[in-house]
Amino acid sequence: MPHDIDAARPPRWLASAGGAAMFVAPLLALVLIWAIAVPLFGINPRVFPSVAAVGGAAMESIRDGTLIEHIGASLLRVGLGTLIGVVTAVPLGIAMGVSPAVSTFLTPLFRFFSVLAGIAWIPIATLWFGYGFGAIIFVIFNAVFFVVTYNTLLGVSTIPMPLRNAAASLGAGRWALLTEVLLPGALPNIVTGIRTGLGFAWRGLIAAEMIATNVGLGYMLFVARDFYRTEVIILGMIVIGAIWLLIDRLLLVPLERSTIERWGMVRRA
Amino acid sequence: MKTLELRNLKKTYFDPYAGSHVTAVHDVSLEVQQGDFVSVVGPSGCGKTTILNMVAGFIPHSGGEILLNGKAINGPGPERGVVFQSFALFPWKTVLDNVGFGPKMRGVPKAERDRIAHEYLALAGLSHAASRYPNELSGGMQQRVGVVRALANHPEVLLMDEPFASVDAQTRMTLQEELTRIWQERRPTVIFITHDVAEAVFLANRVVVLSKGRVLDQIEVALPRPRVWDDLIEDETFKRLSAQVLHMVRSA
Amino acid sequence: MNILLRSWSAYTRATARWPGLAALVPFIPVIALWVAVTESGMFPRAFLPGPVEVVKAFFSLTYRGILPDYLQDSLVRLFTGAALGMAIGIPLGILIGTSKWAHRVSWPILLFFQAIGDIAWLPILLIWFGFGLTTMTFVIVYTVLFPVVLNTVLGVESVPRDLARAARSLGASPARVLWEVTLPGALPNIITGLRNGLGYGWRALIAVEMIVGTSGIGFMMFDARRSGSVVEILLGMIILGLLWYIVDAWILAPIERATGQRWGLVTS
Ligand SMILES: Nc1ncnc2c1ncn2[C@@H]1O[C@H](COP(=O)(O)OP(=O)(O)OP(=O)(O)O)[C@@H](O)[C@H]1O
Ligand SMILES: [Mg+2]
Repeated sequence: MPHDIDAARPPRWLASAGGAAMFVAPLLALVLIWAIAVPLFGINPRVFPSVAAVGGAAMESIRDGTLIEHIGASLLRVGLGTLIGVVTAVPLGIAMGVSPAVSTFLTPLFRFFSVLAGIAWIPIATLWFGYGFGAIIFVIFNAVFFVVTYNTLLGVSTIPMPLRNAAASLGAGRWALLTEVLLPGALPNIVTGIRTGLGFAWRGLIAAEMIATNVGLGYMLFVARDFYRTEVIILGMIVIGAIWLLIDRLLLVPLERSTIERWGMVRRA
Repeated sequence: MKTLELRNLKKTYFDPYAGSHVTAVHDVSLEVQQGDFVSVVGPSGCGKTTILNMVAGFIPHSGGEILLNGKAINGPGPERGVVFQSFALFPWKTVLDNVGFGPKMRGVPKAERDRIAHEYLALAGLSHAASRYPNELSGGMQQRVGVVRALANHPEVLLMDEPFASVDAQTRMTLQEELTRIWQERRPTVIFITHDVAEAVFLANRVVVLSKGRVLDQIEVALPRPRVWDDLIEDETFKRLSAQVLHMVRSA
Repeated sequence: MNILLRSWSAYTRATARWPGLAALVPFIPVIALWVAVTESGMFPRAFLPGPVEVVKAFFSLTYRGILPDYLQDSLVRLFTGAALGMAIGIPLGILIGTSKWAHRVSWPILLFFQAIGDIAWLPILLIWFGFGLTTMTFVIVYTVLFPVVLNTVLGVESVPRDLARAARSLGASPARVLWEVTLPGALPNIITGLRNGLGYGWRALIAVEMIVGTSGIGFMMFDARRSGSVVEILLGMIILGLLWYIVDAWILAPIERATGQRWGLVTS
């Protein structure tokens, strides 16, 4: 019986393929304008490269493996830093959120640190860990950690008391309360926290790579500047944009949609 | 045989803003037999919710005793099912999983608890909604789920705090009739809290009137069952009892 | 137990009367911990100075006029950028939000340019505009712009169609509908966008000041990094944190809450 509602809709793959086409079309149009405008106005390649030049730079850096190397380095850093951040932040946030008194007391503290999270830590991180992998991981970790902890704390403390009571009166023990009520109840905020934190982390990463390392997308951009290689810079910008768009739209937004909106807990952009 | 017994129950809240104590329940004694249906009415703020929360074990009591089958209660437990005014359905679980929650906590395997949940959903006429999420249901449907979720856990006592207050008048009447029907079928012990005097009389075998944290009076309701609104709305005994309770509540 | 209860009661009462207290008291244990760690000699002083040194640095830098100057530079940059970003972003968002087609065409482009992120623009901006105010302003405007546009669009679209119809049937011209209905209806979302945008914006500012700057708090921190002066780095971080905390918690969040909650519009 639940199927009859869906019968009228086009099949899912077709709908999503159509959606993807609708999404890509304006971007392709933009590339077309770019391809026409550069030769039309005779723009100096040192100011803005042609489509062909960027394509050439892409081919070249794919062939010699540098692009993959930079992307790999950046993704590894973000992945590792985020993983450590989330794995430590969620349990901590939940533990602190369980008691209303503790969470009201600690909220301003974590708010302060989540406000500071990310880029502002670059100087001290490079001082503590030296220029390189450790400092960058630390910057990403703390961007994610404080934002996710703060949001988890907020999430747990906003779970309505009747829900906790309902679980208890249905026989839930401590562990069941945690896994069945607190964790799913705080999930909307946790996901939001991860989305925001990752946003800060990704920017922090690019900044840190410009300053503190010799591999990664940020580094690739910054070095290209020294040689006025605008085609490499634009290539790097496109790659950075595309990666974030993929992470955000294919991973984080669907995660929010599939759970939270169906549950009717919150609706957001 | 008596199941639930409240002896000189007392509750004082600590108010952190005022830094002082407030007594919400002064001295309440009450006995509820196994399989009985008791309604509790009283003006706003007289301590109804407080009493229910203490019996449910959500908050500690400050004095007296709460005995279930002669044993003092200790925190919330599955032998005392609760139906909340705010429904308190888990938004992240489907209707089926909400109803199967109690059995899950008892360690009932998935297939078996789904069977139990389906059985209880059928009891409430909600089989078609099993795979939906709570926010996709109407208020009346949500509250039906709330009731069968508590029932599916086979509680000895069912505690209900104004469960039908936030649904429309038509639905409320249907829910009330359904509740009496289900109660006759399963015979759980029920304590039902409400503002609505007609509701209290319609449902219960006995109506307890509270005032300022004390029991003012108890009135037996000897109306025949099954009870349906179409019959009772014109019934002289029903009218007389309702008027009597209403009078007491208003003068409380 | 009783003492705990009583002190909690006192704390609740005090914070009810002076809400600022609730934001300050929790930092006492952190500062105590900080003192304890530095005093224990676990880390060398050059690695982690104590609060006293940071306060001293604050006074000496303030006395020499460096800190006020830098702070002013950073704030002016941030607020010019934010003002420009809003001036462009809100009209653009309304334009896009009122037309289904404009939305369809521009949405992917907006998302993509937002995804590129402010800091990735820095190298090409340096080529275009060199090290200077234009580059910095561009980055901040860019950062503030996208959250404002995206949220304005969502806000405009979330205004119930019947409200606009009601206004029309009461005799409002389309322009009046925009002013009387669309804009106030979208306001909570616009403020959310501004709040997000400023959150990213000031981070971008710090990064830009570190990389290209010649003044500002970000520059001060990075300059201190070069000379190995941890005190000034910590001072910079604390100032940034405090500043943003005040702006966000005491200005932006209350405005957001006031508009969103008073009208019963669900945002966030
Ligand atoms: N957590 C609390 N702290 C302090 N006082 C409380 C608390 N909960 C309830 N009270 C007080 O105890 C009294 C009884 O409250 P209770 O909620 O039990 O009333 P009620 O009879 O359920 O009212 P209503 O019919 O409006 O639901 C009230 O005066 C209320 O202000
Ligand atoms: Mg109540």
